[in-house]
Amino acid sequence: MDNTPPKPAAPLLDVRDLGIAFRTGAGLVQVTRDVTFSIAPGETVGLVGESGCGKSVTGLALMGLLPKATSRVSGEVVLEGENLVGMSQRRLRQRRGAKISMIFQEPMSALDPVFTIGQQIAETLRAHRDISPREARERGIEALARVGIPEPALRYDAYPHQLSGGMRQRAMIAIAIVCEPRLLIADEPTTALDVTVQAQIVDVLGDLCARLGMAMLFITHDLGLVAQTCSRLVTMYAGEVIEEGRIDEVLVRPRHPYTSGLLRSLPALAERKSKLPAIPGRVPMRGEMPEGCRFRPRCGFARPLCEMPQPLDRLGPSGQVRCCRHDELELMGVLS
Amino acid sequence: MNAPAPIPAPQDATPIVAVENVGVHFPVSGGRTLKAVDGVSLEVRPREIFGVIGESGSGKTTLGRAVICLEKPSAGRILHQGVDPYTLSARELRRHRRRYQIIFQDPNAALDPRMTILKAIREPMDVAGELPERERRERAIELMERVGLSPDFAARYPHELSGGQKQRVCIARVLTLRPDLIVCDEAVSALDVSIQADILNLFAELQAEFGLTYIFITHNLGVVAHVSDRVAVMYLGRIVEIGRTEDVVLAPAHPYTEALLSAEPVALPAHLRAQNRVMLKGELPSPVSPPSGCRFRTRCRFAQPVCAEKEPPWRETAPGHLSACHFAGELPIMSGAELHPVKLGGALRPGRAS
Repeated sequence: MDNTPPKPAAPLLDVRDLGIAFRTGAGLVQVTRDVTFSIAPGETVGLVGESGCGKSVTGLALMGLLPKATSRVSGEVVLEGENLVGMSQRRLRQRRGAKISMIFQEPMSALDPVFTIGQQIAETLRAHRDISPREARERGIEALARVGIPEPALRYDAYPHQLSGGMRQRAMIAIAIVCEPRLLIADEPTTALDVTVQAQIVDVLGDLCARLGMAMLFITHDLGLVAQTCSRLVTMYAGEVIEEGRIDEVLVRPRHPYTSGLLRSLPALAERKSKLPAIPGRVPMRGEMPEGCRFRPRCGFARPLCEMPQPLDRLGPSGQVRCCRHDELELMGVLS
Repeated sequence: MNAPAPIPAPQDATPIVAVENVGVHFPVSGGRTLKAVDGVSLEVRPREIFGVIGESGSGKTTLGRAVICLEKPSAGRILHQGVDPYTLSARELRRHRRRYQIIFQDPNAALDPRMTILKAIREPMDVAGELPERERRERAIELMERVGLSPDFAARYPHELSGGQKQRVCIARVLTLRPDLIVCDEAVSALDVSIQADILNLFAELQAEFGLTYIFITHNLGVVAHVSDRVAVMYLGRIVEIGRTEDVVLAPAHPYTEALLSAEPVALPAHLRAQNRVMLKGELPSPVSPPSGCRFRTRCRFAQPVCAEKEPPWRETAPGHLSACHFAGELPIMSGAELHPVKLGGALRPGRAS
């Protein structure tokens, strides 16, 4: 897929210092902080990290889907010049589905079981476009065909339970892209699927991005998938962005010890039967976040300097890293 | 029924498990039968790591359950070191099956939330009721340490542990009865990669230390290729290819294996990834009414009329490397090196970046 994206001056999406806190019985708990990255028009960016790093809530926050009653979002999410944080629900609704869309891991729980696929596509269409039911049907069938669903006119009237997992995910994608949004947020869209079906879905997504000029934020824990679908990579750890860069460069020369550790622990790239270089320890729990670099307790390169707060340093035109030793360290990537 | 021929073990040691033409059938609505496993034969040698790979609906989990007597075969038989466990009396069977254990994918579901970690690890020994109380406790603590859990965890409950730690508890728990064979059913699939690496290392160490045999069931090709000596590829209740892992991964002979290998995303820069990919057409057919002849033919890019008419025979493309395909060895299937240029470890890296 496209690995040489244009890098125009104005990004499509500009996320600045995004912080998410949840209100709990014990008060406000900060889940992510200082999440900063941007996406150019038509670009595919992978957001990776392990469970609990905050990648999914970041996706939800971009869509304005976190309930106000239980969460507090700070910072800026600027989509085509408009800040979505703090925008009224009414105005947000006009943008969701039309300019920015999202698909989820479990299509069965994201689709409504009592409505046909067609009704769910038409709902999106008619919310944003002033068109007749008949036109909506035509456009909906077109969208189903575009995501590779065979016999789209028949499937249009099917209920979600009548489709296989892969077809359901295609239907989800059709709903998300029917209004041709500028940005699609895909949160683990293939995790529940088999690898051969995953390959088909990834193919459909890449094809749609190319044909509609749509940008995509691909949220996943699978670095292989990012390598295959994205041109840039954003790595999160313990609620912070710790590295961002062009995927082909990060794979070969990661700049943050955590990214390096993730790449090296992949069994597919290690010598057969060899001991895998795992990352010692575990992700700190909320409330026990270490001062300074949050990866410090698990990092083999930690120095006293790492106890200081770590800023995100810029690396070239499109990269950044949150590690005070990034200049001196020669970290191993997938080819080392 | 045209059952596949038994697959010879590459060496003539008594296999720890011999699966002979086993079928596991479930009744479904309308008086029909779902043959989750349909005529599978294989042998697992002592201290071998045997991988079973397949997608959902391939029957790999049912096969694993049948191997340790959690599912009674509807056809064929399973031999444990030459003994058919179903010929044993109930009491003998209970003793016997201690040596054949399983670790499941989701440690949350496998552990009782109301049991402390120590109690959960001790439970199999408590049920067996052979050792004196003190020894059970000692062995449990010993195994906790062995799997990398601090004894401080003994009094804690599962919800206080992370996913990786819980999986360690499950591992310690099955080790208490000194099993010969452990079926690992997607045992690392729910874990994050850094933790997964740790648990895979632990499995390898334990094998060396306790002389264990594993049947590693997973959908993750990277994991299977890394750990296993031999691998069987399953599709719709049947084994379609079996052989030494290097052979199967480097020179797949069945078109389905080729597609699986090709679909696996690899974390490599674009210029080092395969340029051509095999994309499977369509979807898995219903296992209740599988296609005639070769079950994969409806999605196979090489399918010929004969594939619908006759069940494919076993064809051997290398010693001990068999494929159930009419044209195995004759098809222009992409090699492992073409599919994954620099992926295969160490000496197996033909196209290492220059």
